[in-house]
Amino acid sequence: MNLREFNRILEQTLLVPVLLLLALAAILVWQIQSTLTAQRLIDHSDQVSTNARDVERLIIDQETGLRGYQLTGDTLMLAPFKTAEPMIPRKFAMLRDLLADNPSQLAHLAQLNDRYQIWVGFAQSVMASPDELKSNVAVNRRGKDMMDAIRAQSQSLVQAESELRRQRAVNVEKRVRRVLSFTFIGAALAGLLLGLFTRSRLHRVSRAYQSSLNELQQRADDLYETRLRYQTTLESIGDAVIACDAQGGVEFMNEVAQRLTGWNLSEAREMPLDQIFHIVNEETREICENPVEKVLRTNTVIGLANHTVLVARNDVEYVIDDSASPIRDQRGKITGVVLIFRDVTDIKRTEAALIASERHTIAGTLAASIAHEIHNPLDSVANLHHLLASEEDPDKREEFLAMAKQELDRTMQISRAMLSLYREPKAPIRIDISALIDDVLLLLDRRLADQSISVTRELEPELVVEGFPAELRQVFTNLIVNAADAAGRNGRIGIRTSRTLPEESRPAGVMIEVSDSGPGISAKVEKNLFQPFFTTKGELGTGLGLWVSMGIVQKHSGTIRIGNSDCDGFSGAAVCVYLPMRALACAKPRVI
Amino acid sequence: VLPATTVLCIDDEAIGLKVRKLVLERAGYHVLTATDGESGIQMFQQEAVDVVLLDFSMPGMNGDEVAVALRAAKPAVPIVLLSAFVSLPERMLTLVDACLTKGEGPESMLHKLRDVLAVYRGGLGHGTSS
Repeated sequence: MNLREFNRILEQTLLVPVLLLLALAAILVWQIQSTLTAQRLIDHSDQVSTNARDVERLIIDQETGLRGYQLTGDTLMLAPFKTAEPMIPRKFAMLRDLLADNPSQLAHLAQLNDRYQIWVGFAQSVMASPDELKSNVAVNRRGKDMMDAIRAQSQSLVQAESELRRQRAVNVEKRVRRVLSFTFIGAALAGLLLGLFTRSRLHRVSRAYQSSLNELQQRADDLYETRLRYQTTLESIGDAVIACDAQGGVEFMNEVAQRLTGWNLSEAREMPLDQIFHIVNEETREICENPVEKVLRTNTVIGLANHTVLVARNDVEYVIDDSASPIRDQRGKITGVVLIFRDVTDIKRTEAALIASERHTIAGTLAASIAHEIHNPLDSVANLHHLLASEEDPDKREEFLAMAKQELDRTMQISRAMLSLYREPKAPIRIDISALIDDVLLLLDRRLADQSISVTRELEPELVVEGFPAELRQVFTNLIVNAADAAGRNGRIGIRTSRTLPEESRPAGVMIEVSDSGPGISAKVEKNLFQPFFTTKGELGTGLGLWVSMGIVQKHSGTIRIGNSDCDGFSGAAVCVYLPMRALACAKPRVI
Repeated sequence: VLPATTVLCIDDEAIGLKVRKLVLERAGYHVLTATDGESGIQMFQQEAVDVVLLDFSMPGMNGDEVAVALRAAKPAVPIVLLSAFVSLPERMLTLVDACLTKGEGPESMLHKLRDVLAVYRGGLGHGTSS
């Protein structure tokens, strides 16, 4: 129910009782009015009766006066007669007015008047007659008869009027009863109607209220459930989660976060984040910027720099990988920061172990061909030594020694190339990429020859980049071995190095392209190429080569792309490695 | 004097082959050389060869393929495998009469050759006398 509806109901509950009671009052007024009218009719009857009695009394007064005069002959006795004489016609006139609406009573009145007039005529004749004739039995009896007739007529008028009055009284009583019962029933009915009406309105309001309440309760339940679900989710995920308010005070930490930091949520709550989340750079040991402050400053999601170490409360250190994101309200204002991190110590260790293992694998791959490369010249040297021991001819000796030196030089070159797979300078050095690739090809020479693979080199001289030579050797050994495996027996490999000009997205550098005549790469394989343990070589591959190569190239701020070759004569895959000239100034960490 | 024993050396390593030839010649052998499997097999079929010194790892045709071809042509002629490889295929070891690792030294090589030839000659001698 909305507010408008509610206001309408309020108006209804105000107006309906008022209107109903007004209607009831109007009917009551009408009823009372008609009762009053009936009451007035009674009064009217009373007036008629009173006047009729008055007339009778006045006539009797006249008769009494006349009788006295008859008996005494004294005119004084006629005083009452004279007094009443002018009053009676007035009374009759009044009665006529009163009874104007009642013809039967008017008839009675007219008759009474007639009889009175007759009697008046008699009275006047009596008064005019001589004294001796004034009173005798006949006259008296005549007078009495007339008077009786008048009385009877008056009586019947009065009786008729009182009958009328009685009827009118009954009518009034009936009306009063009706008013009373109407009042009672009306009140009861109005009460009932109002009650029912109010009840129905209240029911509606109450239902709406109840449904609002239910809705609120439902919302509260939903909210609670959602909150619980999120809480449980946060509690049960494997990553550590810390939520802070906009000032960097800790609001929430899940189990993992509590374990890694060594702080309980109850202790850490409302504490500044940097007190419980103490992070330093793994290598420099410098304190890292508080991620909350960084998020507030940059207003974006941030990832922590690589090599971040979390120093727990008990001084245990964890290598962590983390990100921090702002929490925004509906208007986009930052109301807090959520920090998500995980312990990657084991991952880092495993990664390091995998990288080391891959380096050994590369060395293992090369071992057989290196052994071959070293044993061949060694064999010659041993044979030459044998020959020298019994050779007298100085020219021959000279020749043998020269040959021995040549063979030893070859051994040393191979040995150096092999060792440089392991020896790594502390800092990046300048490397001639084309020379490095020549070295790698020297080590792989035997292996490639065994598979009768021909190598086409287009190496631009003096392509110098900064970097770690052993790692780069590893990358190219890996790429060339892959190309050889893909090309197969009697296959071909093309290696091309070139200078690249600076572009918007990357500085000047070197592009090394290794193409092969193999079957190329399917889209499905391409997707997984850089995933660790992904291999197309079955038992023979570790699935780490490209993964490690990628890491090394990324460490040199370079890129590595694998697609299908568009070079003439190379139908298979082509790997393009870009290395910037000055790599490590802007080195990025590996992207796991 | 017995006619010089003929050794066929098949190896793709030019210097190694040249030096080996000198060592064997100084030891009194008649030496034929081939720098790949194909020409080696051809030479083996054309010449009277008493023993073959075969390298394993060669471009084009590997030692085991060459050995199969040699055996097919003249099964009796002993073959000594001379290789820089440590791990050789099982089949290779059963195909040849003896194995040598490069770098073991000339004495070892000459000794092995003598042994193999003694067995070979013994077999022949026994065959001719009967």
